[in-house]
Amino acid sequence: MKRSEAFLAEAQRLSSTGSFSWRVATDEITWSEQLYRIFELDPVVPVTLERIGTRLHPEDIPSFDEMLTKQRRDGSDFAHEHRLLMADHSVKYLHVVAHAAHDHDGGLEYIGAVQDVTQRRLSEEALGKARSELAHVARVTSLGALTASIAHEVNQPLSGIITNASTCLRMLAADPPNVDGARETARRTIRDGNRASDVITRLRALFAKKDATTESVDLNEVTREVIALSLSELQRSRVIVRPELADDLPPVTGDRVQLQQVILNLFLNASDAMSEVDDRPRQLLIRTERDDGERVRLTVQDVGVGIEAQGLDRLFEAFYTTKSSGMGIGLSVSRSIIESHHGRLWAAPNDGPGATFSFSIPRGLDDVTADLAGADSVEAMPTLAVNDASQVVRHP
Amino acid sequence: MTVIRPLIAVVDDDESVRESLPDLLTVSGFAVHAFSSAEAFLASDCIDQTQCLILDIAMPGMTGPELQRELTRRRQQIPTIFITAHEDETIRARALAQGAVGCLFKPFSETALLDAINAALRVS
Repeated sequence: MKRSEAFLAEAQRLSSTGSFSWRVATDEITWSEQLYRIFELDPVVPVTLERIGTRLHPEDIPSFDEMLTKQRRDGSDFAHEHRLLMADHSVKYLHVVAHAAHDHDGGLEYIGAVQDVTQRRLSEEALGKARSELAHVARVTSLGALTASIAHEVNQPLSGIITNASTCLRMLAADPPNVDGARETARRTIRDGNRASDVITRLRALFAKKDATTESVDLNEVTREVIALSLSELQRSRVIVRPELADDLPPVTGDRVQLQQVILNLFLNASDAMSEVDDRPRQLLIRTERDDGERVRLTVQDVGVGIEAQGLDRLFEAFYTTKSSGMGIGLSVSRSIIESHHGRLWAAPNDGPGATFSFSIPRGLDDVTADLAGADSVEAMPTLAVNDASQVVRHP
Repeated sequence: MTVIRPLIAVVDDDESVRESLPDLLTVSGFAVHAFSSAEAFLASDCIDQTQCLILDIAMPGMTGPELQRELTRRRQQIPTIFITAHEDETIRARALAQGAVGCLFKPFSETALLDAINAALRVS
């Protein structure tokens, strides 16, 4: 008996998990030794709700109180996350799970476990930050690949501006001056100026370094923007872009710029895969559609060199590349972006030549603002977490 | 006496070019036809009358250089000025080597354009 108690204490210490019981009627609480250690409270003085309150992170006190009130009333199993603010100002993240039971008098009693998940939270935070930096690197890397395309996008309207302005001057200099014609060409000059400015705005959004944001995103619109930015680069590579965008696509909730980054990366990969193809049109099919179970799917299909079925998983590993100029981070960053949107990204060889890359993400909530307002800082963090890759369902 | 205005054909997939360039050429005293693709130009009946071809390089479908080769193959060579929004000297060198009269990078000035057209018309 003693031995098994010793084992249990050791297990609690190793797993940073303490156990407790809470009799609701009397607020009588018992803690295991490990739980006193997690709270850094002296086990000589019995624990009370007041003593717990002295350790709670001030920001988490309202939600903790709310949880207590609810559990006193409901008598149901529960899970709760909150933070502690320790004497040395460090913060601990705790995960509580409890089971509702009845003591020998028939009163409501909760039996539960409290795990110190601080290490996990901090690594998730660090991982989220690292990923955001990596995504920035990948964006800037594609900026290099897109320089020619950008110059093209800006030169095109500049050309219109200069030509229209020249025409305008000539019309005004004519005898008699052609005022109506001049007015029309001046109008076109303004339109082309706005067009050039739009290109710059899109670029700024795409390459600005910023943390992930969450908003309602129309995947069709995002796709069109990426097509607009990369079209001339794709045309220069003799790629024919065929968009098939679904009319009734519901919005998704996510980071617009990150999703653009993923789509851009899939485009550039598809284009690279077709660079040696000369015996068939270099067709790039981009399709958006509703997917099963309230999801939205985007598919990029090329007719390029294709992929080996056995190499499929390695495609998404960081620094794995088959291209001489690639860094091999595009697909791995893309996958982690999609996973942070609670979606999945996969590749499959085509029946004919080429490969198909697809991602599928849940459609957004209709009321995004309510969703964001309801998430407190602890709950908001998992959106930055990268899932364990082994949990990702891969397409055969 | 009617002055016959030299006919210039503009082939560019970019709509704003097809809109702005013909106006400038018209006020500069030329007759203009604009086409949105190489295929459309080949299908038209004004190849024979065209005295100067202003031709975009990168277009979906048949590209500018491909159109130029097709015209050579048909023995219907037209003095050609390439225009492109990709500022790339190797493109210009290749275009001139294939017999183009000029190659202008967008955005180009009115003077550069008219100089190139005058050179093309001297050839034709």
